[in-house]
Amino acid sequence: MSELRRDPIIGRWNIIEADDPAGPEAFEVETHANSGGKCPFCFGNEGMTPPEIYVVRPPGGAANGPGWSLRVVANKFPALKIEGDLDRQGMGVYDWCNGVGAHEVIVETPDHNRQMADLSIAELTEVVKAFKARSLDLRGDKRLKYTLIFKNFGLSAGASLEHTHSQLIALPIVPKRVQEELRGAERYFEFRERCPYCDMLRHELQEHERVICENRSFVAICPFMSSFPFELWVLPKEHGADFAQLAPEPAGDFARILKETLLRLRTALRDPSYNFIIHSAPIERQAREEYHWHLELIPKLTKIAGFEWGTGFYINPTSPEQAATLLRDIQIG
Amino acid sequence: MPELRKDPLIGRWVIIATDRAKRPVDFVASHDEALSPDTCPFCAGHEGETPTEIFAIRPNGGKGNGPGWTVRVIPSIKPVLRIEGQLNRHGKGMYDLMDGIGAHEVIIETPDHIPNAADLPVEHLHAALDASRIRMVDLERDPRFRYVLWFKNYGSVAGAGRIQHSRSQLIATPVTPLRVKEELVGTRRYFEDKERCLVCDLAAQERQARVRVVIDTPHILALCPFASRFPFELWIVPKRHGCDFDKLSPEELSDLAAVFKQLLSRLKAVLNDPPYNALLHTAPFRGRHTRVGYWKTIEDDYHWHFELIPRLTRVAGFEWGSGFYINPTPPEEAAKYLREAVIEEPLAHV
Repeated sequence: MSELRRDPIIGRWNIIEADDPAGPEAFEVETHANSGGKCPFCFGNEGMTPPEIYVVRPPGGAANGPGWSLRVVANKFPALKIEGDLDRQGMGVYDWCNGVGAHEVIVETPDHNRQMADLSIAELTEVVKAFKARSLDLRGDKRLKYTLIFKNFGLSAGASLEHTHSQLIALPIVPKRVQEELRGAERYFEFRERCPYCDMLRHELQEHERVICENRSFVAICPFMSSFPFELWVLPKEHGADFAQLAPEPAGDFARILKETLLRLRTALRDPSYNFIIHSAPIERQAREEYHWHLELIPKLTKIAGFEWGTGFYINPTSPEQAATLLRDIQIG
Repeated sequence: MPELRKDPLIGRWVIIATDRAKRPVDFVASHDEALSPDTCPFCAGHEGETPTEIFAIRPNGGKGNGPGWTVRVIPSIKPVLRIEGQLNRHGKGMYDLMDGIGAHEVIIETPDHIPNAADLPVEHLHAALDASRIRMVDLERDPRFRYVLWFKNYGSVAGAGRIQHSRSQLIATPVTPLRVKEELVGTRRYFEDKERCLVCDLAAQERQARVRVVIDTPHILALCPFASRFPFELWIVPKRHGCDFDKLSPEELSDLAAVFKQLLSRLKAVLNDPPYNALLHTAPFRGRHTRVGYWKTIEDDYHWHFELIPRLTRVAGFEWGSGFYINPTPPEEAAKYLREAVIEEPLAHV
């Protein structure tokens, strides 16, 4: 028997197969072959990318030359452009504005043959620091309202380059999903004066059914209303709406749980393609009591079809309890 | 300069890339290996391999669950929701859940092994749409259901699986889906403001501008929406205002079938047989059980329509997670390609 479960924040219902859940073997295995050719993110090819915006390089090295361990560059084919005014306009029923914004690429390592899961804790901590530094820097731009940090890994998850990298898009608008979350959280808070994510954390840590792993500052869970098989969230234990306010110590813990989660996922699901997105509050002055930043990771295992498009609710063949048990129990190196 | 465009119904912003716009040749349609017609459970002569039929059209008579049909409706072989049982709504701490109750039916659109509905005679499309309408009217009688979604998946990328036999599906759900609710809320807000239907205004504006219109028949308008999420996304809108698809007139149904045939053939010609999804958005069930909230002015402010989405780009967790789309083909260009497509029996109303 399947179950209909409601997202307590945005109110979306999903269909979850609870009795006869699909295990890892039910999904196709995707291979991530090295396609060869000249990679713009590799050592020595720095000239192939736009100039670097942020870099981790030992002192003395020249900018845009080798010697770096992490590099942030503007996307060569940006979805949005940084120059120009928004110039908001309307005509009849329609509204639009110019596509102003930033689109940056975080090259996580110069080594072409390593995945994000293979990076050391120190290297991953640098990645987290870069996410933070770039978010804070773009905040100075008054035109921008939201910073989206995400990663596509694998061809079927939309990664066009195989060399491990994450992306940042700064937008003049707040994306719809985030707005839904903000509104849902506000509604929840109005009633109870508690953050819904803090409540969720307490509930999940008590029941432990859907917890994958945890450390001092973070918990990884498969959410109750998962839209996708093996969907997982990483939440900071301490309340905070804004990812960019992450203190140095928890930043290391975030790197630690990210590595552990990625390794568990890779082992359990035979190296799946995935996307992750950091959900954080919009760029604004006051701190939100009701919102709680977190990372959402979706392995690319199922196909989205007409039903999902039409309803905005999802059919998930693997219950999150089953997914969490599997990811928790798997042995990693 | 790329543009940010806002969907007037639900307020979603989309990035439209205008600089390096992608043309049809930039997309590669992919199809997986198909099941052969010999083993296809939806072909004529294999009626025994499916669950017992719910409805069928047999122009020359004939027995149920035997051959002689043109369109056949059966319960899904792999239903995502089960028809028997009560909803059993309950809460678990901060969470809410209920049993997965619903109906899942398949409308087989042809007895022949034809994968793409674009290749069906228009009479079959007409019969299939009419059968869908009849099933929707029937499902509304079940007080457990609030909505029924009509949809269609073609090609494995679009979720059609290995059975490549033209069909559409119906899923009746005990809740109003989020996407539909968003549209209801958006169109109601517009109505409160202007006392006009947003989609009627949108259709009038598009017919005047004529840059995104693909087909314009006496009853039906097909266009590439202003804030398209995907390249070559299409909308099919009835010109006469109405919130319920199942109340469309015979003339509208004929035009609708013809427009479907045109659009699917044009997509096939322009994009080299792409996988696609199609779906219907219509008002939720209200019938005998009056419900609160956005149901009050629904007949004035909501307008049924179909959405047609060719699956050309890799949409991944990013788009689902953020609700944020980047469309590489401006709808004005997509509409132009589709209008100029060379097909066998073009309609006069392009």
